[in-house]
Amino acid sequence: MDFAFTEEQQFFKKIITDTVDRMVVPKAREIDEKDEFPWELWKEFTKLGYLGLRYPEEIGGMNADPVTAMIFYEQIARGSVGFAQSVIMNILMGTYFVYRFGSQAIKERCLYPAMRGDKVATMCFTEDQSGSDLSATRTTAVKDGNEWIINGTKMWITNGPHADFATVLATTDPSLGAKGLNFFLVEKGTPGFSPGQILDKLGCRGTITGELVFDNVRIPEENLLGMELNKGVEYLAEILDEVRVMTAAMAMGIAQAAYDEGLEYARKRIAFGKPIGTYQLIRAKFADMATEMEASRLLIYSAAWKMKEGLPSRLEAAMAKMFATETCLKVVDEVTRIWGANAFANEYNPQRHFRDARFLLYGGGTHEILKDFMGRMIIGK
Amino acid sequence: MDKVLVFVETKGDEPRKASLELLCEAEKLAASGRFSVEAVCFGTMSDALREKLLASARKLIRFNDPELAVYSPEGYARALAGYAAETGARMIVAGATGTGRDFLPRVAIMLGTGMVSDVTGANWFDEPMTFVRPMFGGKVFAEVAFPASPVVVTARPNSFAMDIPEGIKGEYEERTAGSLAGAIHTRVVRVEETKGDAVDLTEADLIVAGGRGLKATENFKLVEELAAAIGGTVGATRSVVDAKWRDQADQIGKSGKTVSPKLYIGAGISGAIHHIMGMDTSKVVLAVNRDPNAIIFNYANYGIVGDLFEVLPAMTEEIRKRKERG
Amino acid sequence: MNILVLVKQVPDPEALIEIAASGKDLNVEPKFAVNLFDEFALEEALRIREKHGGTVKAISLGGPKAIEALRTAIAMGADEAVLIEDEAFAAGDGYNTALALSRVLKKETFDIVLTGRQAIDADRGEVPQMVAQFLGLPHVGVVVKLDISDGKAVAESSLEGAKEIVEVALPAVFTAQKGLNEPRVPLITGVMKAMKVQIPRIAVEDLGLTKDMAAPENSKTRIVRYLPPKKRPAVQIIPGEAREAAAEAVRILIDVERVI
Repeated sequence: MDFAFTEEQQFFKKIITDTVDRMVVPKAREIDEKDEFPWELWKEFTKLGYLGLRYPEEIGGMNADPVTAMIFYEQIARGSVGFAQSVIMNILMGTYFVYRFGSQAIKERCLYPAMRGDKVATMCFTEDQSGSDLSATRTTAVKDGNEWIINGTKMWITNGPHADFATVLATTDPSLGAKGLNFFLVEKGTPGFSPGQILDKLGCRGTITGELVFDNVRIPEENLLGMELNKGVEYLAEILDEVRVMTAAMAMGIAQAAYDEGLEYARKRIAFGKPIGTYQLIRAKFADMATEMEASRLLIYSAAWKMKEGLPSRLEAAMAKMFATETCLKVVDEVTRIWGANAFANEYNPQRHFRDARFLLYGGGTHEILKDFMGRMIIGK
Repeated sequence: MDKVLVFVETKGDEPRKASLELLCEAEKLAASGRFSVEAVCFGTMSDALREKLLASARKLIRFNDPELAVYSPEGYARALAGYAAETGARMIVAGATGTGRDFLPRVAIMLGTGMVSDVTGANWFDEPMTFVRPMFGGKVFAEVAFPASPVVVTARPNSFAMDIPEGIKGEYEERTAGSLAGAIHTRVVRVEETKGDAVDLTEADLIVAGGRGLKATENFKLVEELAAAIGGTVGATRSVVDAKWRDQADQIGKSGKTVSPKLYIGAGISGAIHHIMGMDTSKVVLAVNRDPNAIIFNYANYGIVGDLFEVLPAMTEEIRKRKERG
Repeated sequence: MNILVLVKQVPDPEALIEIAASGKDLNVEPKFAVNLFDEFALEEALRIREKHGGTVKAISLGGPKAIEALRTAIAMGADEAVLIEDEAFAAGDGYNTALALSRVLKKETFDIVLTGRQAIDADRGEVPQMVAQFLGLPHVGVVVKLDISDGKAVAESSLEGAKEIVEVALPAVFTAQKGLNEPRVPLITGVMKAMKVQIPRIAVEDLGLTKDMAAPENSKTRIVRYLPPKKRPAVQIIPGEAREAAAEAVRILIDVERVI
């Protein structure tokens, strides 16, 4: 058994940590306060080439294994979750189906520019009445000659309002439920495709999230992303574990950022003549936080390692997502207690981490759904 | 008796303070009877400067080679190491100034020995000699033993007391190092005095910071004047920046700049944790506040409980007076 | 232009440093970084190469972990790297460090040696000048601007507040000061190259040295023990009315603390 990162992974962690410290951390507060897509940082950061993290070197990617990818997701989220969501959307969910099933022309039009940061990608699952319950998807795709016609409204779409292309989940046959689902590529500028409401969010600000409206959007036949019709859910399963563990890694990024703030405060804030970090109740908080963060990382990186080795990881990915996110919530909460009333001031970071952590409860599946799913996997139907 | 060479740096008619401090320390060594001390100087020397030096050194050697008129690491190192080798010096010391730190390492290698840089304390009479020097930016100090010979040391300015000895009238000697012409491969094209721009806060050694207690933006001139008198940089608290009395760039604290100066003077600053987190690694802290219970006093070495509108101008005046006296 | 850059891996500036109970060792939190000043040196080397062509080779003396610093150099754009792997020499005094480095440099052909003006762990600032002296090369210290042309360098050195503009024929050693440049953030292509690269390691024996030369008892200088910095004592309130207290404060700052 070997729990260590390889020398290469350790080095990657070092570099991405430094890069995030230099480029992202100083901007995090402004990103949160303005709640606007940070175009300047996007251009500067994407120039470095990280958006091709998971894709082969032949097409300009890095071909990172899942463990290395988790290191990246964790660090970028430590810098700014709002920014991380946009970046990861281009790296993973927003481009995966285009990479996997897109024609060469589509790849050249969408994937490669997205890997360079020249185009912004998104993925549209959620609707007003469907999220974890994909079978309730109401957006439809109807074949008309050699075109598909998409109709429906998507909600909670990361990068949605300014995305250059979207991978859209739609049903070709509502009577089939989840078995009638497919992914379609819709590009900006296609008539009938327009952004709707923009959400004013509690956290993860700076990534623009909103509604996308599809009103008789006509797309060519080749924009069906899949080898076969009605295999959407199977294709989705290909990245489901990574999405869940990625969410867990992001949770650890937030937790680490909050923890570091807590540590600095505990060492510097003096009460009753001594730094508060010398008091047992504060020390206990750090003992608990550090333990649970370590446990979360063991779940995250062992799940990622299983993915890398091609071993089953569905249950472990769900465990990691749930445990790490819950740990993150505890850590951001404890840090606001360590910081006392100062945690309540918008000028400091703990309140931002406190708000940001909430989002990860829903992204990658609510814990209620996950627990039900995990219980079913363990006990059987 | 072991010979000690003190490299003396000069500027115009004045010896550098670090050199003078070392001469004072060396005089104590000479007084012990175990060491003989010589001050070594390069470059031009006015009568006034010579007189000053001869009042603190029992022997002053000046190398008058034209090549030593301007600083070059190779030229200075060769002249000093050459003389040390010729006289069998046991110890070569210099101030840990930019120049001292730049060429003494070359002297050490020329003499086949090591060195200890930037020492803040010395036990000259230990066998072997030991020195204390900061590491990790002063987070920790190391005691370093120096068994090799000769001992080459640079000493941080302000580390030794400037106890100018009395009644010394040293002898003066001029020498020529010779054979320097071919040994110097650098050529100073010109020297540009850097403008007296205030150093950026995060790098400043001396900071005077003001808080709410200044009451109005125009009163910051008291802080500016004190900062100017000590050659320091002005800082401010967040509330002062929020009130637009000072620019955001001046803000010290958690959401501003983290500073770590040698001296931090805080005037009219209560000591909110925000501010403390940005300055608590300052070496010496002087707080001026009317409120004897102000939290900043918990983080200060020295405190004046009083009205900053009286204290700051009085300090500025006092510093100017001291500077005039030299 | 063949440029050699001497790079040291140091504890991260934020790493926790505590003195061991024995007083003879330091417990340093295992977080590492490339010495800040060496990053300026590296960046300058890359810029010179971009302008004049040639190669950049990074050289480090350290334990096995120092490979990471060299990988960082490759990630930033260095062509090659080599590690003198020896814990004893790496932990040794400035003399031994400079000796080992100069032995490696003797085997190389180069026009320029660049390195940081000091390492932020030991804070000695001796090694570059010692290396220059071992090799009989000139050096320019604390450089904030460097122009290369016609086999010559013109360097701006900020030794003592003033700026000295110094001309020197190559080869020469330069030590980088903050302000020289803004080091680049590595591109992923560089990072990937750095992850895969095999960095050769040299033993001190290959340089005609022996391990025991760096043992503390054989060194020119050796650290006997570590001491904590003075803790800030309880505040001393300076008594008296304003003028009196102000004068006393100034006296203390000048004569006792000697910070002004």
